[in-house]
Amino acid sequence: MKTIRSVVVLALLLILCMALMPPASAHRVIVQGQVSEIQIKAYYGGGAATPMADGDVEIYAIKDGQEELYLTGKTDDAGMFYFAPKIGVSEYRVAVEATGHKGEETVNLAEGAGITEAEQAEAEKEAGLPVTGIITGFGYLAGLAGIAMIITARKMKKQYENK
Amino acid sequence: MVHISDGVLDPWLWESGWAITVVILAYTLSKMKTEDVPKLSVITAAVFVASLIHIQVGPTSVHFILNGFAGVMLGILAFPCIFVALVLQCFLFGHGGITTIGVNAVNMGVPALIAYLIFKTGTKLDIRPETKNKVSLFGAIAGGVGVVLALLLLAAELLTTGEEFYETTVLVVSTHIPIIVIEAIFTGVLAGFIATVKPEMFGKK
Repeated sequence: MKTIRSVVVLALLLILCMALMPPASAHRVIVQGQVSEIQIKAYYGGGAATPMADGDVEIYAIKDGQEELYLTGKTDDAGMFYFAPKIGVSEYRVAVEATGHKGEETVNLAEGAGITEAEQAEAEKEAGLPVTGIITGFGYLAGLAGIAMIITARKMKKQYENK
Repeated sequence: MVHISDGVLDPWLWESGWAITVVILAYTLSKMKTEDVPKLSVITAAVFVASLIHIQVGPTSVHFILNGFAGVMLGILAFPCIFVALVLQCFLFGHGGITTIGVNAVNMGVPALIAYLIFKTGTKLDIRPETKNKVSLFGAIAGGVGVVLALLLLAAELLTTGEEFYETTVLVVSTHIPIIVIEAIFTGVLAGFIATVKPEMFGKK
């Protein structure tokens, strides 16, 4: 009798357990982890690195080469903008625009969206004073001046000959 | 601030910018004389580098334009000066965009021509050491007006992108006040100085 009773109690317990089973065991739960926020910084080049405040931000999600407007917003006073990436999309094209000035950058989470020290140094160098650009520009100007001199001199010579 | 980048304006706008630029360029270059060339290239060099000098005003960064100055110094040749400076700025500094060189040249070059007109009407090109004060005054007015007109043109074009004209104008003009004042003083002082030491530099145009 005692064993039968304990078997019944056990059986009841088992039924209770089955009835109270959390639904989790019936469905596979998938938890994905990903970086929750992408930080965008926009600033003007030319040495001072002035932040582009209150710029219009457009984020395009790129999936299979197709671009789709994901979200829009505005940069804060420090030229910063934050957005949460769409799950399953790792590539984004970011465009920031303020009073006719526009800059673009593609952020790819799959390739590691972080900015390495070397990349930052390069960006800072690009944003700095373009000394080589200035020298090149002066070179072009000297060349253009030479060409302009030749052309105008020829024109004047022709006019002189016609007289 | 005044260089419009690629992809901001509608195509018809920057296309017409190029059309206007090509017409004015062809006309002004046909009037160019050999003796103008050295002066033209020196002023172009100044305009080209001026846009690298930034001043931070409130939330934005502004730089020198020197279009009114170019107008006073070069007359109608200010237009090719601005155009060449813009092409070099675009390719070497990444200022503005390739498609918008035309519309940017109109934005800064046409005010430069108007600045020259103001200077010409005001001084009647009677430039001698004795008329120094008048030359300085109209040089300053032309230098300031050149910048203001460039900003108004910019605001008018941004209107097509859906920005509020009044709002944009107030924003760009207020942030450019230091630029307007400095360029006016710079142009006025330099015009007065040249009237004293080398009045023939303004030439007879």
